[in-house]
Amino acid sequence: MRELGDNSEAVAHLTRPQRWDSPFDPEMTDGDVSTLLERPEIASIDATAFPGHTPLEGILSNDTSIVKFSAGDIVVREGDYGNSAFLILSGDLRVFTGDYPHSLLGRDTAGKKGFFETISQSWTNSSIAEIRNTERYGRQSLRAEQGHTSRASQRDTQSRVYIRDIPLILDKYRTTKMSDGGLFGELAAMGRIPRTTTIFAETDATLLEIRWQGLREIRRFDEGFRRAIDTRYRENALRIHLRETGLFSALDDEALGKVADATLFETYGAFDWNVSYQRIRAAGGSGAGNEPAIARQGEYADGLLMIRAGFARMAVDYGNGQRTLAYLRAGDTFGLEELYAGWKAGSSVGLRSSLTALGYVDALRVPANILEEFVLPNLAAPPPGIHNQGSRTLADDALLEWAIEERFINATKSMLIDLNLCVRCDDCVRACGSTHGGNPRFIRHGRTFDHWMVANACMHCTDPVCMIGCPTGAIHRSRVGGIVVINDDTCIGCSTCASSCPYNNIRMVEIRGANGVALVDSDTNRPIVKATKCDLCHTNPGGPACVRACPHEALKRVDFQRESLEEGSL
Amino acid sequence: MDLARTRLLVIWLAAGIIFDLLLVVDRNIRVNLGSTGEMTGYWLFGVMVFLALFHLRKRLSMLPLGGAAVWLNLHAVGGVLVLLIYWLHTGSLWPNGIYEYGLAVLFYLTALSGIVGYFIQRVYPRMMTQTGIEVIYERIPAHLSDLREEAKRLVVECCDRTRVDTLGRYYLNTLDWYFRRPRFGFNHVVGSQRSRQWLRQQDAYVRHYLNDEEKAYLDRLTKIARQKDKIDLHYALQSVMKRWLLVHIPLTAALMTLALWHLLVANVYAL
Repeated sequence: MRELGDNSEAVAHLTRPQRWDSPFDPEMTDGDVSTLLERPEIASIDATAFPGHTPLEGILSNDTSIVKFSAGDIVVREGDYGNSAFLILSGDLRVFTGDYPHSLLGRDTAGKKGFFETISQSWTNSSIAEIRNTERYGRQSLRAEQGHTSRASQRDTQSRVYIRDIPLILDKYRTTKMSDGGLFGELAAMGRIPRTTTIFAETDATLLEIRWQGLREIRRFDEGFRRAIDTRYRENALRIHLRETGLFSALDDEALGKVADATLFETYGAFDWNVSYQRIRAAGGSGAGNEPAIARQGEYADGLLMIRAGFARMAVDYGNGQRTLAYLRAGDTFGLEELYAGWKAGSSVGLRSSLTALGYVDALRVPANILEEFVLPNLAAPPPGIHNQGSRTLADDALLEWAIEERFINATKSMLIDLNLCVRCDDCVRACGSTHGGNPRFIRHGRTFDHWMVANACMHCTDPVCMIGCPTGAIHRSRVGGIVVINDDTCIGCSTCASSCPYNNIRMVEIRGANGVALVDSDTNRPIVKATKCDLCHTNPGGPACVRACPHEALKRVDFQRESLEEGSL
Repeated sequence: MDLARTRLLVIWLAAGIIFDLLLVVDRNIRVNLGSTGEMTGYWLFGVMVFLALFHLRKRLSMLPLGGAAVWLNLHAVGGVLVLLIYWLHTGSLWPNGIYEYGLAVLFYLTALSGIVGYFIQRVYPRMMTQTGIEVIYERIPAHLSDLREEAKRLVVECCDRTRVDTLGRYYLNTLDWYFRRPRFGFNHVVGSQRSRQWLRQQDAYVRHYLNDEEKAYLDRLTKIARQKDKIDLHYALQSVMKRWLLVHIPLTAALMTLALWHLLVANVYAL
């Protein structure tokens, strides 16, 4: 870095950061890449189709990691979010194809507390913060990675949940074998959807982990790879997805197949939107602006957009800006009203609003001609959209606009406090503490707008980026209710989730033993930490204690969708 | 009508029905030349016990004992009901007898503290929101300390740059007092604008003697002082909201103790 001049207008020169400045695995060598290029799965990729600035070798070198798994290690867990796919280089893996106990996954299986257990908290809660019964920690099958190449940055913290008795598991539960050359996990990684099954290593295995950026590039530049992935998606998931969508549910198999074949896959924005969002927030900015356009107001509606993952802002031109009408999320569609009107009129109709990606959007586009052939003739006129603001004032929509800019739309249970009603008594905080061993799991402080505050409490996001990268699956969605919870027993305190949370709603705490003594790592002498956050009191009868404890009904757990705001729930 | 209003209406209706029934029973007993003291006394004590249970509900927040908002509605409406039953029980606003005087004083003080608490909880949150800032009570000393240090730094910088100590003396003579701790607490509590007026006055007094460069520093200093004024308001109002219960609850405890003794004595003499 070189400084110019000595006054306040001095500038410093810095080489512009490049995409591959931070490789996925710094330990990948040229030798590894050469070996990989000789494998048939990689050799079949047309390396000449890649541009000079993104060669296939570069992708292998910077976007992949060779990972070794010991027999029994869980590779991916059902319900987890992941941003990478895996190619089996050697060894055998097993996929669960039937029911199996979820305790195998290292997850919290605690049920609802009974009456006595609930009330006993009033005298069993400790006055010392973050007390733990350390005897519990030995019960989960957890082990550190051993003797394999892995991302160096995570070497210190990588631990895995493993399955102890593989023959017993194979006897008892239905599984399918995956061997050398198998690729899996790409649909969850590209579509930002939860893993649909659990896969574990039956024998010692070596896998090539490909992060989503690499997958994206290979898919973009190699026709064969793209076709293979798209075909798998069309065969495995798209038909089911379309069938579950009201518009297509009445189609017969043949028509549905044609719709599926014609459907286009589109992605907008950055997969790791939370990273750039955190940077903007740290610099004091907001999440607004520079949103990738998906469709522009006035343009011809060439297809029906179906949001598969992520969020999109639907807005109309207003003055010199854009006024938000609504935000769309998985399952919502865009453009149907215009397509129907155009089909009825026999001419093209311009879109009445724009659609932009808020962070990351994964969408399906069903072409207009396909809709006109299979869907629109059997469709009653869709209800008018919300394009007309009518008598709504800017103030009416201000809260929604703010929630979108702050990305609180990701929340399903954000803690919204009406400061005009809140008497700052902290009964909510005390109630939270009383249901969590004396340790409150949120801070009654956060971003404010007008008389609203979104407190620093876990929002149980639709797109829970905190779950990406948890090495042990300790942070997961509960099977009942789908709330995001942390299994304290398998949390290794790596802070991946806390660093990923764009809203700073996960706290790393130093824990103490049952006798109140601080616990430190016997090797490093550093404190043992655990990730903690709001769990919506999922084991407590009666729902979130914070909501019940507020005497003035100032505190609510809300979803920021317009309908929620308008139903008088606030 | 939303759920909260409907609920409150139902509770008011229920309280009204209870009191009407008590009036009818009371009249029937009186018509038959009986004494209503025992009946109204037990009702009075029972409702008071129920009101006091609200505190227990707060302590047992882990149990699904209904929302605290419902309990607060019941507590507020029950508070009005208990006043009416009290007057029905004593037959007047002020009873006879020294012990009863004590009971009456405690009863009225408890009721008054409850009513005051109820209303400040309705008014103060809006006053705090109107400041446009939100602070955690326990962090206020740290915020004030930061502002004080920032103000001092500005004044020192001004004196260094301008080589004039007018602003320095102004700080020492006036603002040092202001920044040292929360000020104008009473004025904030009663909703007075006195603090803002005081700041405007002090600003005007010294501005007369400053040049443009110093005025720019004064503007920044006044901005910090206004920020402190907002925090002072939060401190004053949050202090009252946190402390009124320290009056209401001990009064309630004393009242319940005396009422229990009164109940025992009345029963002993009745036997």
